Amino acid sequence: MTSTVPVAELTGAVESPPRRFRPGAARRRSDTRWALLFLTPTLIGLAVLSAGPILATFGISLTKWDMLTTPQFVGLDNYVRLIGDDRFLRALRNTVFYTVVSVPLGLALALALATALNQQIRGIAWIRTAYFLPLVTSATAIALVWLWIYSPAGPLNDILRAFGISPQRWVADPTLAMPSIIAMSIWQGLPANVIIFLAGLQAIPAEYYDAASVDGAGRRSRFRSITLPLLTPSIFFTGVLALIGAFQVFDQVYVMANPGKPGEATITLVYFIYEAGFRNFKMGYAGAASWIMFLIVAVATILYFRTQNRWVHYQ
Amino acid sequence: MRTLRASRSPRLAIVAAVAVLVAGCGSTAPSASTAPAPSVAAPSVAAPSTAPASSESAAPGASASVAASAAAECGTYAGPPAKLTYAMWGDTTELANQQKIVDAFTALNPNISVKVTVADWDSYWAKLQTDLAGGNAPDVFLMDGPLYPDYQTRDQLLDLSPLIARDGFDTGQLVDLAVKDFTAPDGHLYGLPRDLNTIALFYNKAMFDAAGLSYPDASWDWAKLVEAATKLTKTSGDKTSQWGFYTETSDMENLWSSLVWQAGGDILSADKKTVVIDTAEAAAGIQFLQDLIYKDKVMAQPVAGGTGDMFENGQAAMEANGSWLVPTHEAAGINFGVAPLPKGPAGQATSVNPSGVVAYKGTKSPDAAWEFIKCYTGPKLQAMVASLKASMPANKQVLADQYATSFDGGKTFADALAYAHLKPSFKGYNEFNSTLQDELDTKVFNDNQMTAKAALDEVAPKLQGLLGQ
Repeated sequence: MTSTVPVAELTGAVESPPRRFRPGAARRRSDTRWALLFLTPTLIGLAVLSAGPILATFGISLTKWDMLTTPQFVGLDNYVRLIGDDRFLRALRNTVFYTVVSVPLGLALALALATALNQQIRGIAWIRTAYFLPLVTSATAIALVWLWIYSPAGPLNDILRAFGISPQRWVADPTLAMPSIIAMSIWQGLPANVIIFLAGLQAIPAEYYDAASVDGAGRRSRFRSITLPLLTPSIFFTGVLALIGAFQVFDQVYVMANPGKPGEATITLVYFIYEAGFRNFKMGYAGAASWIMFLIVAVATILYFRTQNRWVHYQ
Repeated sequence: MRTLRASRSPRLAIVAAVAVLVAGCGSTAPSASTAPAPSVAAPSVAAPSTAPASSESAAPGASASVAASAAAECGTYAGPPAKLTYAMWGDTTELANQQKIVDAFTALNPNISVKVTVADWDSYWAKLQTDLAGGNAPDVFLMDGPLYPDYQTRDQLLDLSPLIARDGFDTGQLVDLAVKDFTAPDGHLYGLPRDLNTIALFYNKAMFDAAGLSYPDASWDWAKLVEAATKLTKTSGDKTSQWGFYTETSDMENLWSSLVWQAGGDILSADKKTVVIDTAEAAAGIQFLQDLIYKDKVMAQPVAGGTGDMFENGQAAMEANGSWLVPTHEAAGINFGVAPLPKGPAGQATSVNPSGVVAYKGTKSPDAAWEFIKCYTGPKLQAMVASLKASMPANKQVLADQYATSFDGGKTFADALAYAHLKPSFKGYNEFNSTLQDELDTKVFNDNQMTAKAALDEVAPKLQGLLGQ
């Protein structure tokens, strides 16, 4: 169990707690210097490739600009108009719905699956490999298969028919469209989360379980008192990634929509931004929408980090 | 360029490509539908009212090109060696087809080399805008009629009119409507049409024969269409094994704009300043399509991305759609005929949408770029466009002499130009279109939430607001 060194390293980053007290200020300073030295390439990359564009986008968001002619400064006009734009508000609502449903559901499923895949049974390596396949399959291929699954004469409706339920229009029906897309996304996102959870599970020393068993703890209480608390760093970590990823959902919606054109029921924030900037020649408007989204994601992430002390247990 | 509509969706393009592969790559071999029984199709082609009109309009251009000056011919480029980049949307099949045409061009102009780049519909426009913004755009690139004003009015395109005048190039040799679509408000041409597509009615001969019905012809009207489609729809229980009719509802071009015009309505006023899609006439056209799905029940309820082309799959007896589908239907092995769209209350109408080749204003080799565009619209290269059958050549002579006679139905598509309306083309088309289409998809076509009139009344003020921007 404990011999899986490479996977354990994966979670190392989130496992080491930020220590408050260290002996000797001099050593701390030299640690910081070394840390900065090693981080420099990344920091330069971030500044040039991320911070730069983010700030530039803010500048663009204050203009009316079609990318081809001279931008006009319009102040906060784009932001004011966005707040009254039905399509933007719908995109915002859809994205929040997608996030709120897909993140917890996806994490819970991944956790269950990781626990199941952590068993010592014959051929477990093969079973694990099968579950990781979606990770290495192209998004378009996945979407094509799911379109078939959801199609009127597809297998999902065949199953419904077998139970005497009338066939559903999974991606065409406005009320079913988003849940259908969420189901596909969760399936698609599972393996990445399962890998992290599996690594977390394997990093839990077997002695804890042995000791608990000796004390008479059952399967369920061992899971609740040992597995879950020790897995909280992994859950926290995947949660952040899933939260940010969910806000940025684009591909699934884009591919599953009728000719690449999501309607009212499935338009998301990133699609709205893409549409405004690259289809409708409104780069300033798209920039403003990007900034609103950036702020929402930042606030959501900060709030999420605030909850950390309450439920995340570092060893 | 093959399938304008299909190319817009990467997913559909893949499905189409798979379909072609499965069907055994029959695109170059003479297909089943061209060979059999031309006599059967003869009555429908000889639509008495339309045929003379179109041959009249084709004649002047054909004769004028004979008298054109030598500089108007392809292969007269005398400048320094030039390298061009030609960008187009499409898939790998289309790229291969275009490469052959480009090779023919460079054979005629050894001093010009051309690099062809291809991207799917959405990536194409996103990339083009980025390249234009960076001052690094391709020298020549493909342009869709409706989107032309968005680029032309933003001063991105090379004015071809001085070059046209210099070489004595006769634009009368090209389909008039298509030239009109690329004529800017200042009267200048910033691009020339490469090819175009009209909409007509495909019908499956075997299904009509089996039902003992006579084939559709120019005399058909809406009532006749519903009558035949009803007879051709086979239902048992809640399952329909064969539909009478199929079309795509997700873009105005496939059918619904034609229905609006057939009903006597329009989308915009003639000056393109007022939205008129909410008139009773326009609504009647869209209502007819909603009724085909929900009242007459002769067409399957549209499903986002699900069914594919039901006519191509042999699940529907008729399909109203564009000339770009000819190679796809041939590859599917369907024995089909083509008739004009049935007439509406206000008579006959169809849609035409040209795509053209434009040059980047900042190109380093404007003369070579012009040579490319000039050659592309000339008889030699246009003959290659026609032989693909994936769209109609923009050159009148090639259209009448070659395309119209190359398959059963070619003449119907070509003759449809006599009563065709241009697909709306104006600055801001994309946003206008997606707002309108979104409303119709959600409330009228994909779901029977409200009548066409109610939906159009709801969306019209929003559309009018977009026009003013």
